[in-house]
Amino acid sequence: MIFLVDLLLMLIDLTCSILTAIVQTFLRPRLKCIDGELCLITGAGGALGRLFALEFAKEGAHLVLWDCNSAANEQTAKLARELGVQVHTYTVDLSQRHSIYDTADRVRTEVGEVSILVNNAGVVAGRRLLDCPDELLERTLLVNCHALFWMTKAFLPQMKSKNHGHIVTVASALGLFSTACVEDYCASKFGAVGFHESLTHELQAEDLDGIKTTLVCPYIVDTGMFAGCEIRKELRSVIPPLEPLYTVQQSMKAILAEQQMVCIPRLMYIPFLARALLPWDANVATYRFMGGDKCMLPFIKNTEQKTSNGHIKTA
Amino acid sequence: MMIIIAEFFVVILKVLWAFVTAGAKWVVRPKEKSVAGQVCVITGAGSGLGRLFAKEFARRRAILVLWDINSQSNEETAEMVRQIYHELDAPVTKDGPVGGVEEVPPFQPQVYTYVCDVGKRESVYSTAEKVRREVGEVDILINNAGVVSGHHLLECPDELIERTMVVNCHAHFWTTKAFLPKMLELNHGHIVTVASSLGLFSTAGVEDYCASKFGAIGFHESLSHELKASEKDGINMTLVCPYLVDTGMFKGCRIRKEIEPFLPPLKPEFCVKQAMRAILTDQPMICTPRIVYMVNFMKSILPFEAIVCMYRFLGADKCMYPFLAQRKEAMNNNEAKNGI
Repeated sequence: MIFLVDLLLMLIDLTCSILTAIVQTFLRPRLKCIDGELCLITGAGGALGRLFALEFAKEGAHLVLWDCNSAANEQTAKLARELGVQVHTYTVDLSQRHSIYDTADRVRTEVGEVSILVNNAGVVAGRRLLDCPDELLERTLLVNCHALFWMTKAFLPQMKSKNHGHIVTVASALGLFSTACVEDYCASKFGAVGFHESLTHELQAEDLDGIKTTLVCPYIVDTGMFAGCEIRKELRSVIPPLEPLYTVQQSMKAILAEQQMVCIPRLMYIPFLARALLPWDANVATYRFMGGDKCMLPFIKNTEQKTSNGHIKTA
Repeated sequence: MMIIIAEFFVVILKVLWAFVTAGAKWVVRPKEKSVAGQVCVITGAGSGLGRLFAKEFARRRAILVLWDINSQSNEETAEMVRQIYHELDAPVTKDGPVGGVEEVPPFQPQVYTYVCDVGKRESVYSTAEKVRREVGEVDILINNAGVVSGHHLLECPDELIERTMVVNCHAHFWTTKAFLPKMLELNHGHIVTVASSLGLFSTAGVEDYCASKFGAIGFHESLSHELKASEKDGINMTLVCPYLVDTGMFKGCRIRKEIEPFLPPLKPEFCVKQAMRAILTDQPMICTPRIVYMVNFMKSILPFEAIVCMYRFLGADKCMYPFLAQRKEAMNNNEAKNGI
């Protein structure tokens, strides 16, 4: 029966992919060449975005940099041009659909076809749900999640016509498991993960094997975005906030090796698995032990203070 | 240093104990709490699961507040609820309290209906205000309303994508902001998120739905952690993740024909009964059927390529394609209305 043959083939395939994955964890993977490709990075004015730009420039890719902050964006462009690649900058508000579409059109006319898309831009409200202005909550969802839809609709068609491209979603470990007090961020990052995975399944189903996707899920990165976030003090040295450069370098390795997903550090796979395996009460107990349940409270206090001191404008 | 080691052992014990209690609940059904006289808001009450939830809560004498964007179907649900209330009260009023065993307060539960577009913040807040004035404080919130665009991403009008996101995900923020403050004050309440197994794992062709359901789950879990950390133990949360339910929402969705008899679309009544059991026993999460737990775990542990070859074998990778094709045909024939 065809069914039994299919079942056997599937089990063989399954075993092969598990073995390949295990082997690849230890071997150094072959990294692809992206010299001359056009790479678009959102949030390029920020800490991670800037480092991504420089890393892609080192690999020889030409850059299209998007950010809502034109000064920071220009600074990134200046640094990248020193590495000898062409760089174009655009000021975009990712929370506005039409801003994304209009700018994408301009990129197509002024620069060319984007083959690598790095959805890196991200924001967080930094307030407890009941204290948070609705505009800030919406903003997190629009920038971290909705924007992915519009970016994909803008750039995927050309990738499909050439069956060539790479879409990178910079989500977060907080897209795989959650913690208290960052409901907007978790909702948006979970949504980003759900979107990315569904899109990847669709590309696989349509046999578009020339279009790759990579999901990047870093733990808290020391960019200042979550300044103040702290787990239990005994564990702080074991799991410190990540260095931005390390995060980007690990991500680049995964992207250039065409890996589907990367958790940085690998330790993050553990809470991700635990969430699927353990009963809820068990998860809560481990969170309490790690100090993960209240880790965001100092960050939120920080943000509240900065707001009342006028350092941060609300919406 | 010693303290952390000691705490570590305590955590291991707590984890094992959690498994034991979870396993025990499979065998011995815990006592269901009473919701008689409590105010229960159900969004999307006009059809599908929402209607069945309304009927189940009505059978348990809760006061129902039904929200839906479609007033006609909402009123139909209300009529069914009134019928149930009528049937419940009939034996009591004829012969007096039965056996004196029931602790049901001698009152007439009522059902209230409101037309509300949960995708619009202002609509949620103004309707919530009306509910507070006309009905009272809300004890149970069932975030059930859900939509899907039913188009492949690149063919899908942006408005439909946005609609899926705002109804399935954003709405939970607004309803929670509307009703949680009072729950916190009274340290009493229950918030139920009706997500989907497509909020735990995904498939091709439903990017908007998956993003929104994953988002709803992220919101739910983060809020659950916050409530646990704040030690407001009178407020419970339950996450409901059903596999495909046969409500017509995903009509046409089909997995491999040899597997279908083992994993058919769920009967809506079964799904709601399981969910009610979880809600009334304060269970944090329920996946229906139980195999969804296993799929979720396997999806977390296996490499993506392995998942893809399993999907292909099960016919899960293209299971949504016939559903999308049907929707496209219906749209071309002008039968489907946009956004509903």
